Amino acid sequence: MSGLDLERMSVLVVEDSPFIRSLLVNSLKILGVGKVTTRDHGGDAIEFLKLVKADPMKAGVMTVDIIISNWDMSPVDGMMLLRWVRRHKESPNRFAPFVMITGYSEPARVKEARDMGANEVVAKPFTINALAQKLMGIIVKPRQFVHTKDYFGPDRRRQNMPFEGKDRRILKDDSDGVEVIHG
Amino acid sequence: MVNEAKTPIKVRYYRFKNHLKEKTVGLGLDPGVLIDIDPAALARAQAALEDMIEDYPDWVKTLLLKLSEEHRRAVDTPHERRLQFEKIRRIAHDMKGQGGTFNYPLITDFADSLYNFTGVTAGMTDSHIEIIKVHIDSMRVVINERLQGDGGQGGQALKIGLQQAIDKHTKVR
Repeated sequence: MSGLDLERMSVLVVEDSPFIRSLLVNSLKILGVGKVTTRDHGGDAIEFLKLVKADPMKAGVMTVDIIISNWDMSPVDGMMLLRWVRRHKESPNRFAPFVMITGYSEPARVKEARDMGANEVVAKPFTINALAQKLMGIIVKPRQFVHTKDYFGPDRRRQNMPFEGKDRRILKDDSDGVEVIHG
Repeated sequence: MVNEAKTPIKVRYYRFKNHLKEKTVGLGLDPGVLIDIDPAALARAQAALEDMIEDYPDWVKTLLLKLSEEHRRAVDTPHERRLQFEKIRRIAHDMKGQGGTFNYPLITDFADSLYNFTGVTAGMTDSHIEIIKVHIDSMRVVINERLQGDGGQGGQALKIGLQQAIDKHTKVR
């Protein structure tokens, strides 16, 4: 077994509750994350991400590898931040891994976050282990990104579940209308 | 020769090199090697969480003071109850997300119930205001008596008491 060395990782934590923010920062630091930056809400996070792109020296970080954000914040919530990261022309990295933390654990709300392009959704109350496993998934098993007219984000099909009947779901790389971009 | 019309792109797949893995594991690792987060670090993070649990009651007390203040305003200014309900609901949402993390699932349960009682369709009668007060009082007992986990007999009695109060005031309405 090989342990992950997170020392070179840079994580942005966006959380309005000082107590939970402190918990997340402590946990990430103890797990070995080298750089953890915090912002109180989505608006501050957007300004920070713009600064990282324009002047990383001034921002104090060269890049943001993973964004961990609470959903329910004011005035700019986690969904608005996620939408900006995935779709705005000023976004420094539209493919940035995004973990949404939320007290809304209803399946419809989780689906809403995934449909906006969240890589992972962590329901409160969360455990250190759950958070660590989500980070592991992002680092070790990243999913391809998909861009259609309705969606831009990580591939929402995580598993190839067996099913009966004709396979009408999965476009192949050589199917008509499919383009694969490597980078 | 027939000119075939080019099919418009319907879906693009982006497949990038895994830079995060390169950063955290390095290059040249045998693909068969199992990668995991250092169990010792996980244990330390868990221990730190447990340390923070000790500070959690003080944090909740500050939120309970805010809830009591908003409740008092709702009593004093019935025409502004919608505004107070929104503030109470926001605090309740924050609390329900935290309780379980710090081994106070009763706070999560009671805050969740309070959250549901202060939604946009919630009643705003005096009975409803009383239901809100019982929620705040119940959470105060949980914190003052450090009722972690299911709270034992005391915790279960609080749950029953809250439900009885809800039933009583709901009938009054």
